Amino acid sequence: MNDLAIEIRGLQKSFERFQLGPLDLRVPRGAIYGLIGPNGAGKTTTVDLIMGMGREDAGAINVFGLDHWKCEAEIKRQIGYVSPDLSYDSWRKVWRAIHFVRSYYPGWDTQYCDDLLGKLGITWDDKIPTLSLGARAKLALVIALSHRPALLLLDEPTLGLDAISKREIFAQLLSAVQDEARTVLIASNTLSDIERFADHVGIIHNGRLLLEGNTADVLDRFRLVDCTLAEAIRPPAIKGLFVQEHSDNRFRALVDVHGEAMGWLREKGATNVTATPVTLEDLFVELVKEG
Amino acid sequence: MDSLNGHFKISPISPAAPGPLYGQIVEGVKREISAGRLKPGQPLPSFRTLAADLLVSVITVKRAYQELEREGIIYRKQGLGTFVSENGAARNRDARRREAEQLMARSIREGVEAGMDDREIVRLAQRIIREKRGTQP
Repeated sequence: MNDLAIEIRGLQKSFERFQLGPLDLRVPRGAIYGLIGPNGAGKTTTVDLIMGMGREDAGAINVFGLDHWKCEAEIKRQIGYVSPDLSYDSWRKVWRAIHFVRSYYPGWDTQYCDDLLGKLGITWDDKIPTLSLGARAKLALVIALSHRPALLLLDEPTLGLDAISKREIFAQLLSAVQDEARTVLIASNTLSDIERFADHVGIIHNGRLLLEGNTADVLDRFRLVDCTLAEAIRPPAIKGLFVQEHSDNRFRALVDVHGEAMGWLREKGATNVTATPVTLEDLFVELVKEG
Repeated sequence: MDSLNGHFKISPISPAAPGPLYGQIVEGVKREISAGRLKPGQPLPSFRTLAADLLVSVITVKRAYQELEREGIIYRKQGLGTFVSENGAARNRDARRREAEQLMARSIREGVEAGMDDREIVRLAQRIIREKRGTQP
């Protein structure tokens, strides 16, 4: 039994001005996975390829252990999808949009859909084009959740929303996925939106995944190290060593304590060492700067 | 918060603080225990309830509870939930004693810096004890 909800291996896709990959990405079942990266990093391309929008040049995407092309229909029945490009405007009324989408899903839960609409303050008769940006995002989430999908793919689900709408949406999302049987992949350029509840994180930049793992483990792995070296040396390029400042023998760096960097510091006679824990933000900024 | 029956409320946690989030939940629960707001045998909220209240993922809360369980501060009873252990209360007493000692050390330092001699400080301490015991039997 495969315990991965999504497994991407060697994924590549070239556009005129952008190259994705080769990219490996692993989302464990039951995880809330935050795929974070600046604009243009490749988040949407990755999510689109999982959804079968566009064909990859190379690599494989498995969802629940199934090939995403060979088993497309089976996989899509288990996915709920939200993206800022997704517009239900042309159905005019909320009820028409819902009737349309639910016809594709045998597992549609009418009662649950009503509950969610009620909780998010949307009625069946609302006119979609007159809804606020926040209400449209909420509608998209209701539509994505109502067939109780095993996997939710959310591409910037709260783009452009105010803090209150974001909170409502994430609170609803969290209560919907708390049975741990559901997996969520959220792509976002706003770290602060998802760092609270993303228990797994992948940092993507220029089409490459720079770091991936359980958020707590990742944070435990890095330290901000201040120290004095025995002599003034220019730090070499070592994997897992991100120098922030150094002058003479004073030295400050973000360090992967599992990597070779700690050994190097010891070798160079580092003294007055302080190692402080980091935030996800520190890590994100540093990796994207370097990468 | 209603869902917690008003018995349990840890301070807000923040992803802006360094280190993993679960560590802040661990600290929050310990603080509640050492302040006596959580007592031995008292149930803790479920993973889901606490996750929803703090707006964090269930995995984060689970990790925090595992850590607390490992330290013997809380225990799980299959099917019944998670509770504060007796050991947790002992830790509570130790922690409070340590805190009292620190506060006393600070008061004494203040007194010394203000030019009080030992006898004056002891007399002051005795007076405060009498007053506190008098009003709070």
